[in-house]
Amino acid sequence: MKFLLSLALSASLVSPVLAQTPPETDPATMDPSDMDHSDMDHGDMDHAGMDHGDHDHASDASDAMESSTADGSQLTLASEPDLVAALNAGGTPVVATVLGAVCDFCALAMNKTFSKRDEVDAVYVDLDDKTLNLVLKAGAEMDDETLTDLVKKAGYKIDVIDRTPALPS
Amino acid sequence: MKSSLTIASLTLASVMALTSAQAVARPVSYQGGWTLIAENDRQTSSLLFHYTPDPKSSVGAKTAWDRELDIQFTGVQGTWLAKRWFAPTSQANLYFFGADGVGDNPGDAKLGTQLGMMADWETRRWFIGYRAHAHDYGALDASAMQAGRIGWAPYAGDSGDLHTWFMLDVDHRPDDANPVDVTPVLRLFKGPALVEFGYSLEDEDAILNFQYRF
Repeated sequence: MKFLLSLALSASLVSPVLAQTPPETDPATMDPSDMDHSDMDHGDMDHAGMDHGDHDHASDASDAMESSTADGSQLTLASEPDLVAALNAGGTPVVATVLGAVCDFCALAMNKTFSKRDEVDAVYVDLDDKTLNLVLKAGAEMDDETLTDLVKKAGYKIDVIDRTPALPS
Repeated sequence: MKSSLTIASLTLASVMALTSAQAVARPVSYQGGWTLIAENDRQTSSLLFHYTPDPKSSVGAKTAWDRELDIQFTGVQGTWLAKRWFAPTSQANLYFFGADGVGDNPGDAKLGTQLGMMADWETRRWFIGYRAHAHDYGALDASAMQAGRIGWAPYAGDSGDLHTWFMLDVDHRPDDANPVDVTPVLRLFKGPALVEFGYSLEDEDAILNFQYRF
């Protein structure tokens, strides 16, 4: 009887552990916003040995521009229909990380501010990635100073500007 | 030069004081933006329509009705964003506001003044805020209040999603029959519109706040 009680007790203690869901490993179901990147070190990555030569940038008007990201990391243009359409029309993508963008009013402020500009074909603020995503009209330009000033006028602050962002597939 | 500008801004905000001023969410918009704010707390109902000439300030027309004292004011309100702290996943703000104007009320007081401040810290899931203001309605009334608010969002909505917040507002009005009241608030906002529903537990008043950004 004692043994059965012990067995039952042990089972009750162990079962919650066994019942725990294993960590998600399927990229398709993972939520990147839940990940903690703050303690990751990307500095030891070897980019020198990577082959970037097989990329097709023939239709990318931003080729002439250099990425402004401090650590050389690449941001990704949000996969939004308006952005993709503007990109397909020959527009130039620009992605910037924005500090303090925590709510829909922040997004609205930047959407309103940038959509008034003649150079801008499409704009989208991604609160998950804290990025301002722009596609400039074909042939149009917007320098870093203007971009930074417009975000300031919207009430926020630019962190990093990437003029050669990864494009949505 | 900078300090004199700061003093000038504070003076301007002080001179422009008048009514109930409790903008509960972002009382300064983006440069060139217009905002309509309708608010009701357990004492005052107010309507403010303001313009943001620069990202640090807003100026607007306001009318407010102190329901307990039956005092109606109409005037101009100025709000100054004294400081915004930026971080990758949060922001904090410090505002000062005030208004001046004329009134139509039983005491025939023609001028009223109100000054206030508001501070908040916000992430996509948490909100902490504090606000305080005082008004001087001449012979009619002079009083002050302070309030704190905490909020929690059950999920982090992205751009254009419906954002939902559960909040708890605790206000202190020393002159009131119930000096301290607690008001649970449900905040919903999506795109340019924000609405809040609440109910004060002591005074048993329904609260409805609305804000729209143009």
